[in-house]
Amino acid sequence: MTGYLLRRLAGALVVLLVLSAVVYTIFYLTPGNPALLACGKGCTPDHLKVVEAQMGVDQPIWVQYWHFLQGLLAGRDFSAGPTVDHCPAPCLGYSFQTDEPVLALLFDRLPVTLSLTLGSLVIWLVVGVAAGVVSALRRGRTADRLVTVTTLAGMSAPTFLVGILLLMLVCAYLRWLPFPSYVPLHEDPAAWATNLVLPWVTLAIVQAAVYTRITRTSILETLAEDHIRTGRAYGLTERSIVGRHALRSALTPLVTLVALDLGALLGGAAITESVFGLPGLGQLLVDSVRVVDLPVVVGLTLLSGFFIVLANAVADLLYAVADPRVSLGEDRLGRRGA
Amino acid sequence: MRHVPPLLIRAAAIGVAVATLSVATACGSGGGDDNARGGSAGGGGFDPAKCQGGTLSVLNQKDITHLDPARLYTSGGGNIPSLLFRTLTTRNRAGGAAGAKVVPDLATNTGVASDDAKTWTYTLRDNLKFSDGSKITSKDVKYGIERSFAPELPGGAPYLRDWLAGAANYQGVYKDPAGIKAIETPDDKTIVFHLRKPEGDFPFLATATQFAPVPKAKDTGVKYENKPVSSGPYQVESYQKNKKLVLTRNPHWSRSVDKNRLACPERVEVTSGLDAAVINQRIFTGAGKDANAVTTDTDLGPSELARLGNDPELDKRVAKGHFPFLYYIAFNPKQKPFDDPKVRQAISYAVSRTSVINAVGGTALADPATTFLPAQKSMGYQKYDYFPAGKAGDPAKAKQLLAQAGHPNGLTVPLTYVSDSKDGTGPGAATAIQDALKKAGITVKPQGLETDAFYEQTGDPKKEPGMMLFGWGADWPSGFPFLQPIFDGRQIPPQGNYNLAQYDDPKVNAEFDEIAKITDPAQAAKRYGQLDAQLGKQALTVPLYTTKDLVMYGKNVKNAFVSDWTGRYDVTMLSVK
Repeated sequence: MTGYLLRRLAGALVVLLVLSAVVYTIFYLTPGNPALLACGKGCTPDHLKVVEAQMGVDQPIWVQYWHFLQGLLAGRDFSAGPTVDHCPAPCLGYSFQTDEPVLALLFDRLPVTLSLTLGSLVIWLVVGVAAGVVSALRRGRTADRLVTVTTLAGMSAPTFLVGILLLMLVCAYLRWLPFPSYVPLHEDPAAWATNLVLPWVTLAIVQAAVYTRITRTSILETLAEDHIRTGRAYGLTERSIVGRHALRSALTPLVTLVALDLGALLGGAAITESVFGLPGLGQLLVDSVRVVDLPVVVGLTLLSGFFIVLANAVADLLYAVADPRVSLGEDRLGRRGA
Repeated sequence: MRHVPPLLIRAAAIGVAVATLSVATACGSGGGDDNARGGSAGGGGFDPAKCQGGTLSVLNQKDITHLDPARLYTSGGGNIPSLLFRTLTTRNRAGGAAGAKVVPDLATNTGVASDDAKTWTYTLRDNLKFSDGSKITSKDVKYGIERSFAPELPGGAPYLRDWLAGAANYQGVYKDPAGIKAIETPDDKTIVFHLRKPEGDFPFLATATQFAPVPKAKDTGVKYENKPVSSGPYQVESYQKNKKLVLTRNPHWSRSVDKNRLACPERVEVTSGLDAAVINQRIFTGAGKDANAVTTDTDLGPSELARLGNDPELDKRVAKGHFPFLYYIAFNPKQKPFDDPKVRQAISYAVSRTSVINAVGGTALADPATTFLPAQKSMGYQKYDYFPAGKAGDPAKAKQLLAQAGHPNGLTVPLTYVSDSKDGTGPGAATAIQDALKKAGITVKPQGLETDAFYEQTGDPKKEPGMMLFGWGADWPSGFPFLQPIFDGRQIPPQGNYNLAQYDDPKVNAEFDEIAKITDPAQAAKRYGQLDAQLGKQALTVPLYTTKDLVMYGKNVKNAFVSDWTGRYDVTMLSVK
């Protein structure tokens, strides 16, 4: 187990390093000069050179990347006008746009995205799995058809459309909820939840549809397997068959899916955040890409990559819990379990 | 002078500014101009004496670019900076054309010119204080300007580097604390600017936030914007970039020392990062705190306008005005076939302004234009239409000209536009032009580029395409920032060029210099109008339309009016009580 974790950790570090190098390269090759944007309109070529030097973007790409790595491992100094700012390791640099330390910026935005993602995860899992089970058990009947049509609609609906429609209906027309504006959990838990209900539901509608489909297929497949038939032959109750055996086997693919979705969403549920004005990582990414804010984009990519790697590792661990056939230990032939 | 990614400019409205108009005058009733005084929705008249109190909520898409006066530019601040920073002069805070005047703010007048408008002297008012209680002196104004040159604080208006004598290579106050010799402060109340050439528009420039005082002792460089020292009616209580800005009263500000701003609300809360549709919907609905809401960067679009027609109550809550902004076709006469004036004239005749305007939202949002200067007196507008295309274009006349130019069977031309834009530089307008030109035998090959790529290509004289859709707005309501960047031959840098015709006529350049010596805005406007009318004959551009600005405000908001300077209502004059 320890060996497995260490191997995963080393792998994760390599992935993140490659990721940062790739993002640097892409940004270096893409048109758009952040110094030109910072310098503003009417910027003369001479002034542009001074601003480029100040921002460090006049250096060759490998020098810039080396400085980035130095900051990550040992910290860096930045000129801040009358003073020099030391950015301690791990330093992801300062935002070109706002001059805030990138790490602080990410930690500032993370709770919003976490609140959004985890809240909607609960809804989409509960709704998705329940609808999937119902649909599978009522295969071919009205309930199944209803669920199938609904999920098709849910999967086809663009997030921004669902979000705006919900806003218009619930906030503008019915006035059941105020227009959302993020309130931190520790400040006012009730307001936190009230303001997040709509974003949760919006994100959950699209995701739940996918989960319903997968749960349905998975349960139907499992129910057709030999061990279920054997169970039935032994006279197990239907509740026990579905709840204890079929659902548990069906959960394995869901765990992988949750891990991947969660990793990706923590990187930013950009559209939902934009529609509801939630100041999360997704909104930050959209803003930063638009203004070529390289340090923030690299920071966000690394954070997002970190979540995906982490989520995958957690999924592997959960496999073992969800499915007893999976083992993380090494078998006698020295091969790692699935 | 700027080109203007239109989105930016709309988010704009100089964040600077200021005004002479007394509170009584500014808020007096009547004025004869519907735009001049916005409505007092929610019933009851507006009384400046009783307007104080409440919280104004500002719902915006984008945050202020920077809360540092050195880094703010017209496009990046909306009105919000004028709540925090006073400048030597400011815009007149009145609706319509009256709002296009420049008036004194920290200074006692708009500036005393001498030496052919090469020297400008300002005297500060009495009893001016920062929010920390310290006295505002001319040295604070000088310091504020000098720090705006620091490469650590880029982004502000570029003019001073060009205008101030010997300032072209100044590296800012952190690297060169000796400062700029061309700015003198003989005593605490006097500040003198020595320019390298006459600049009659200097009082307009002195409305820029670079002219806001900054106390040297409180300067924290790039971190200054986290908690800037205020010289305006409000101070920063808290600021989370791209999220929320909360302003409360500056205890050292009062109406007795500032005749320009009413500053009615006790508190101003600015929320950014919102979707445009959501902003308009929230202000429409006006539930809870949103009854006190306004926006400084979101216009009403065609979909919202459709609702207005059905709801007179909503219609009353829309402030209407004109920001001087023109959309046009720009030619590069260095490229064939645009080197032939007859071809340019043929295209001028062929365009259908009605189609273009329909493509961008209809007549509620745009007026057809045949002149380069927008139809505003302050700009020097003089009516002309040398190539009358009528509403729908004159393809017959266009064909005739093409035949004379040696293209009897028509010709094929490229049209470069911004593929991700929804306005007159975008695909909608491009398609409308393509259709209209087709009727005249001109085949348009559309070339859509994303915003960055578009400005990179059009701004490089060597890579500039032959025909482009462009937009231009003015930093201040005068002919200078509208015409000079577009037609002055000495304004063709290797990057960021807006003189797309690459037009360089020594006589026209000399005329710009002559007008710059004029310090009376009305006189200068007249000359700019004549210059525009003269340039228009050459068909270097095809003016298409100017914009109308419609902005919504909440149920409880009073005194919302739109000026010809900003195209937005003035947050310093709003009341929520």
